[in-house]
Amino acid sequence: MLLVPADWRVAGMTYLKYSNLCADMVRAALKEPAKAKAKAREIIYFRQALWKDGQPQKQVITDTTGGSGGKLS
Amino acid sequence: MSLRRAGLALLRQQGAPLVESLSATTQQAQGAVREAVEGCSRGVSTLAVKQRMKSVGNIQKITKAMKMVAASKMRSATAATENSRGIVQPFLRMLGDMPDTQGAKAVFVPVTSDKGLCGGINSTVCKYTRATVKAVRDGAAAADSGEAAPEMMLVVMGEKGRAQLQRDMRDNIYGTVADTNKVKITFPEASAIAEELLKTEYDTARILYNRFVSAINQKPTIATVLSPDALERAAAEGGAMDSYELEGPDRPEMLMDLAEFQLAATLYNSMMENNCSEQSSRMSAMENSTKNAGEMLGKLTLTYNRTRQASITTELIEIISGATALAG
Repeated sequence: MLLVPADWRVAGMTYLKYSNLCADMVRAALKEPAKAKAKAREIIYFRQALWKDGQPQKQVITDTTGGSGGKLS
Repeated sequence: MSLRRAGLALLRQQGAPLVESLSATTQQAQGAVREAVEGCSRGVSTLAVKQRMKSVGNIQKITKAMKMVAASKMRSATAATENSRGIVQPFLRMLGDMPDTQGAKAVFVPVTSDKGLCGGINSTVCKYTRATVKAVRDGAAAADSGEAAPEMMLVVMGEKGRAQLQRDMRDNIYGTVADTNKVKITFPEASAIAEELLKTEYDTARILYNRFVSAINQKPTIATVLSPDALERAAAEGGAMDSYELEGPDRPEMLMDLAEFQLAATLYNSMMENNCSEQSSRMSAMENSTKNAGEMLGKLTLTYNRTRQASITTELIEIISGATALAG
């Protein structure tokens, strides 16, 4: 058996990143009505701030909705 | 009104010549009574009560609407929450739940809401967070006095938790996360947050949240997720994982993947459960608020009617005594 880790682990990805990428690809391969519903499950939107010495540093927004906030209108 | 008629009847008995001048007086008095009833110049006390009744009535309408919104959100969230439990149960069965695991770095993740008016769930989670941090610290002190005290880090999820915990645990906060349910709670979102948590290189991660038991019952829960090293140590000490054969050169690899996935799955489930708990807690809080506002409105209505009737009675007494004084 291989004694080196998997390619994606060597490339610096965590298992979470790898499996979510695979899931994205599966969702992209879906046919239309199921595809739109599945795309809704792919959205990431949250705000985070790291703290140092009891003070929050910059707020970072992670947003994959392209600024629409996930709403269609 | 019947008092006024009785007064007029009395006047008619007394004698006709006074009637014309008296009818003018009674016209004036009638006007005054009408004014008092409408609450303009003489109804100052009724005006204050009327304004209060109006504002309490508005509050009742608003809280009733909020309750219905929360109820509908809870209904739609329940199905997804129950489905998300299926991703965590296998981990609990296979790896077991070991909340008393010790390690050098302990991360605590209290999951709270961003919006208020949701009852006591956020205060409960913060209270449990403080108690758990103390318990882990005391446990470490009791177990190995040789090792240094474990480093406690807090990653607070939700604005309400941040506001409460930054008062006395400011220096322990590693980071805060907010707006998680602004768009939608999804597994990729939980994975992204889990990746940030992995960067802390914790030994034990404890996620504190409210588990949704039913529409009226939300239970504070602690979910413990261990790092691969801590898992190995627990397996060596005879944890649940020891019952499985995990041979092979890629055992550490596989344990790392498993630990990462366990964190994301547990975090996703805790976010879903807490969201559902938030909606159900808000629903019952708004229901209580509506009920209280209704009771208050009832009491105010009684006060208003009492005051109104008292002022009318006073006016009539004045008119009638004035009339009898003029007649007699």
